[in-house]
Amino acid sequence: MFSLRRWCLLALSLAGVLVDAKSSTGDSVLVVVDPAQQDNYSIFFNGLKDQGYELTFRSPKVEKPVIIEDNVSNFAHVILLAPEAKNLGKDITPQSIVELLSLKTNVVVALPTKQSPLHALAAEFSLILPPPGSPLISYSPKRDTPSTLIPISVEDHSSPVLTKHIRPVWFSGIPQALGNNPLLIPILRAPAESFASEVTVTSGSAEALVDAAEKGGEGLWAGSSLSAVTGFQATNGARITFVGGAEVFSDELAQKEAEQYVQSGNIDFVKEVAAWTFQENLVLRIEKVEHHLVNGTEPKETYTINDNVEFSAYISKWNPAKGEWQPYSGLKDLQLEFTMLDPFVRTALPPVNGAPGKYSTAFRAPDRHGVFKFVINHKRKGWSFLESSTTVPVVPPRHDGYPRFLSAAWPYYAGAISTSVAFFLFSTIWLAGEARDSKKGKAAKSE
Amino acid sequence: MAPTKAPAAPSSQNPVVLLWKAYNQQTPDRLKFIDAFLFFLMLSGIIQFAYCVLVTNYPYNAFLAGFASTVGQFVLAASLRSQVNPQNKDEFKEVSPERAFADFALGSIVLHFFVYNFLG
Repeated sequence: MFSLRRWCLLALSLAGVLVDAKSSTGDSVLVVVDPAQQDNYSIFFNGLKDQGYELTFRSPKVEKPVIIEDNVSNFAHVILLAPEAKNLGKDITPQSIVELLSLKTNVVVALPTKQSPLHALAAEFSLILPPPGSPLISYSPKRDTPSTLIPISVEDHSSPVLTKHIRPVWFSGIPQALGNNPLLIPILRAPAESFASEVTVTSGSAEALVDAAEKGGEGLWAGSSLSAVTGFQATNGARITFVGGAEVFSDELAQKEAEQYVQSGNIDFVKEVAAWTFQENLVLRIEKVEHHLVNGTEPKETYTINDNVEFSAYISKWNPAKGEWQPYSGLKDLQLEFTMLDPFVRTALPPVNGAPGKYSTAFRAPDRHGVFKFVINHKRKGWSFLESSTTVPVVPPRHDGYPRFLSAAWPYYAGAISTSVAFFLFSTIWLAGEARDSKKGKAAKSE
Repeated sequence: MAPTKAPAAPSSQNPVVLLWKAYNQQTPDRLKFIDAFLFFLMLSGIIQFAYCVLVTNYPYNAFLAGFASTVGQFVLAASLRSQVNPQNKDEFKEVSPERAFADFALGSIVLHFFVYNFLG
C-alpha cells in the first residue's frame, strides 16, 4: 500500500518533470495585459502555465503589483501585451524596462502600430520603426485575408533562436529595421514582397512615408531586410524580444489555417520565442576553468616563459526539460586567448573526447614575461555569452632554472677547458725548464 | 746571451723570411715557449669568435666566459713574457723571473675561477 503510493508519487513527479520546461532564471512572470483582452491569448498563457510558469496578470491601468521594488526585480520575466494602451503605468517606461534588463529580467514586448512610449524603447535597442500608423503590408500570396495579415513561412535554421521546424506564422503588426547593433538577433524576417505603409494609400501618406524614410536615412521599410520579430541579448545575459504585433500571440491566429488543412505555426513560434527570451534555450555557462603544466596536475601560482601550459574549461548548457545544467560538448568554435594587453596566443579550445563538457588545449607560453590572462570570450548570436578571465603571472626562469650543458656551447666549454689544461701544462714545463736552466746556469758558472 | 743585431742581410732576401730567421736565432727558448703558448691562445680565441659570429652566440655567457679566458690568459702570458725578457731587465729591476711567474700563476688561477663560474 505504502509502496504503491510512493510509486504513484514518483510517477506523478516524473510526469511533472517531463511536462515542465523550466527557465534557467526563474518562473515568475508578470503579464501586462488589458483584462478585456486576456482571454484572446488563452492558448499562449495556458501553454506557459503548463510549462510551470507562475503568471501574474496586471492591467495597464493598475499600478500593482510593482515590477521593481527597492532596486530588485519582483519578477523573473515580464510580458508587455497591451500595445494599444496609451500608458502602461508609472513604473513601466522605456527607462524602467532598460533597468529591468540590467537587473537580468527578461522582457517580451508587443509593439503597437500607433505612437506610444514603446517606440522610444525600441529606439534604445537600435530598432528603427516605421512612422506611426504604417503596419507591414503584403499582397502576396493571393488570399482572402486583409493585406495586413500576412502568412510568413519560416525556414528551418533561419534564426538560431528557432530550434525546431515551424509551420508558416500569421503576422500582423509593424516591422522593424535593424540598426547595426551586434546584439540584435532577427528571429522572424518579413517576407521579401512586404512593405510598411498606411493601409489605405492616399498620395499624401505615401509621400509622408518616403519623406520619413529619407529623413531616417535607412531607405524604405520594405523587403526581407526588415524583421517582424527581433531579439536582443544584453551583455549581462538578459534577453528582450520585440514582436511587431500582439496578434501573433492571439488564439484566433493560433487556430487559423495557414494553408488549407494546415494549422498555423503561431503556437510553436510564440513558444519558441518565449523559450528563448525566458532563457530556456541556448543558455550556456562556464562551470569552472583550470590550468596546469602539461606534465602536472596542480595549478601553478606563476608560470615560466616557454612553459607548456594546459588549460581546460567545463561548460554546461541549461536543459529546460529536466530543469538542470548539463555538461555540453557541442561548441565547435570555442577559442582561448593568452593575453597581456594583446593576445599573444589565440588557439582553438576543442571539446575533449570522452569527457562531457570539458574543453581543453595545451600551448607553449610566449617567450615574454609579464602578467597574462587566460581569456574565453565566446559571443554567438542567440547563445548566451561565455566570458572568463584568469590572471597568471609569467616570470623569467630563476637563476638556476636555465638549461645547462647545451650542445651548442661545446666549443666555448672546450675553449675554456683547453685554456686551463694549456695553462697547467705550460706551468709544469716552465717550472721543469727553470729547474733545468738553473742547473745549466750553475754548470755554466762552474765552467 | 745578450742579443746583437744580425749582420745586414743581402737586400734580395724577403724581409719576412729575414724576420723569421732573426727570431729563430736570437730569441731565447723560454720566450719561444711563451710565444707558442700565446699563439695557441690566439688561435683558440679566433676559433671561438668565429663560431660565435658564424654559428651561434647562444648561450652568450658561455661565449663570454670562453673568449674571456683566452683573452685573459693571453694578457697574463704576455705580461709574463715582458717581465722575464732579459732585454727588459732594466725596467723590472725589482721583479725577479720567479716573482713574475708567481704573479702569472696566481692571476691565471683567479681568472679560471671566474671563467668556470660564468661558463654555466
